[in-house]
Amino acid sequence: MDDKKLSTKSNIFYCVLSVAVLIVLLFPLFWTLITSFKTEKEIFMIPPTWYPHVLNTKSYAAQIENGDFNMFKSFFNSFVISTCSMLIAVVLAVPASYSIARYKFVGRKAMLLGFLVTQMLPVSVLLTPMFIMFRNMKVYNTWLAPILADATIGIPFSVLILKNYFASIPKALEEAAYIDGCNRMTAFLRILIPVAKPGVIVCSIFSFLYAWGDLAYGMTFILDQEKRPITAGIFNFMGQYGTKWSYLTAFAIVAIIPVTLIFIFMQKYIISGMTSGAVKG
Amino acid sequence: MKKIKSFFRYDNVGLLFIFPAFLYMLAFVGYPILSNIILSFQNVTVRNLVKGEKKFIGFENYVTLFKDTVFVKAMTNTLKFTVLCLIFQFLFGFLLALLFSKKFKFAQPVRGLTMIPWMMPMTVTALMFKFMFSTDVGIINYLLRTAGLIKENIEWLTTPSTAMIAVVVANVWIGIPFNTILLSTGLTTIPKELYESASVDGANAVQRLFKITLPLLRPTIESVLVLGFIYTFKVYDLVYVMTEGGPVNSTQLLSTYSYKLSFDMFQYSRGSSVANVLFLILFLVGILYLKITMQGEEE
Repeated sequence: MDDKKLSTKSNIFYCVLSVAVLIVLLFPLFWTLITSFKTEKEIFMIPPTWYPHVLNTKSYAAQIENGDFNMFKSFFNSFVISTCSMLIAVVLAVPASYSIARYKFVGRKAMLLGFLVTQMLPVSVLLTPMFIMFRNMKVYNTWLAPILADATIGIPFSVLILKNYFASIPKALEEAAYIDGCNRMTAFLRILIPVAKPGVIVCSIFSFLYAWGDLAYGMTFILDQEKRPITAGIFNFMGQYGTKWSYLTAFAIVAIIPVTLIFIFMQKYIISGMTSGAVKG
Repeated sequence: MKKIKSFFRYDNVGLLFIFPAFLYMLAFVGYPILSNIILSFQNVTVRNLVKGEKKFIGFENYVTLFKDTVFVKAMTNTLKFTVLCLIFQFLFGFLLALLFSKKFKFAQPVRGLTMIPWMMPMTVTALMFKFMFSTDVGIINYLLRTAGLIKENIEWLTTPSTAMIAVVVANVWIGIPFNTILLSTGLTTIPKELYESASVDGANAVQRLFKITLPLLRPTIESVLVLGFIYTFKVYDLVYVMTEGGPVNSTQLLSTYSYKLSFDMFQYSRGSSVANVLFLILFLVGILYLKITMQGEEE
């Protein structure tokens, strides 16, 4: 808000202050990372060590070996579930948001309201009915159940975000496409979607992240541990080996690898997704 | 007349584009909401879930709820949890937004990095805080002890009076970035000239905050708080992983209690009645939110 150029002194002051704040804020992550490389013995040491004195990579190695500590399978399950759910959400939400942005069809307002309301829905409302429904559909205890359920979080979010992108595209662009011989479908596919691409990327990221972070659906709709997503795997492991912190923290780090990669490579999309009326489901 | 006809024909093409998404949401959200309402008026438990007669028992589940001490506890806990989280995440979020509104060199990259907590899977966040709040290995106890604030380790997560503090802290950590980013955006919409002329007129920083920033930021603050309420009120994973609602229901929320009734005690109908109470509250707050935001929009 103050647009004045800061003096060198206050520039340095604010830089130091902000870095200090950042260190405090991200301390839990740092601490988890450090702990994951310590031995069980070192973790219990008092006073605690601020970096691993004995480097222990067993907690990571065990995750790809056979046995109880194998998280690799769960990671893969999560990846498949999140990717599929993201695809469903984006494929359905892109045309829907275009429609809301461009056409004043019958029931438009009601549908828009419907998407807004579903964004505020607590999982608890859907869990039991979905559980019964998926049992009847014979998809209970398969990947399909959390895939279908997770997409219900991604769709409304994506529709609401993308409609702003489509609305901001000048009508003239679409009309020019019609003159050049496009029909509505081809103009949508070849002209409008490419222009709205940043929005599509934002939706893909968030739909993926919602599904990646889901615990309730993955845990409730899948019974077999070997088919469950990583969040449910971690939760399950916590129940069994509650104090094996070296393994637990290593699982946590593995579980946030995709989140970190997305953050590093697509940061600008995340900020834009969070600000354009974006909200966590 | 012809014009009106073609107008309608053009616009209703839109229905074709929205139909798949609409159908999907109808099947996987609309239908479940409806069947959850029906379920809450029945007596479905594990015995008659698949086979057997599902009897309609009217409002009995709801009547039982309000006599149920755990439900009343869950209700007050949810309110307590939400209000505490809102206060602290707003406060910290606002301070950070003010900090990042200064044009210093690191402002953009550091603000970006503070978004990380918000993106993390709640299960991972819960795990990290469970570790930090654990009694013997927990870094929080160590730091408090070293600072001389406590003499003996606190059993944060197994003592009813402190468990709530731990889950609130964890949730505030997630909520800060969300508040920061929305308030940051709100701050950029305030015209700079206002601050300049206020400075000329001799207003100090505190006066500028209360006379310019806060009043002009009001719409943003309102929506941040209402949205924050909605998203905090229904938090489930975080608390379930950290405490499972315990000890002795001291962190039992409506969301965790509903899950417990349905999937630990297999009292599906009772679980869905708790979920419906939760939903109803959120729905009313949601309408309030839409009223606030829709005022500005043409829709």
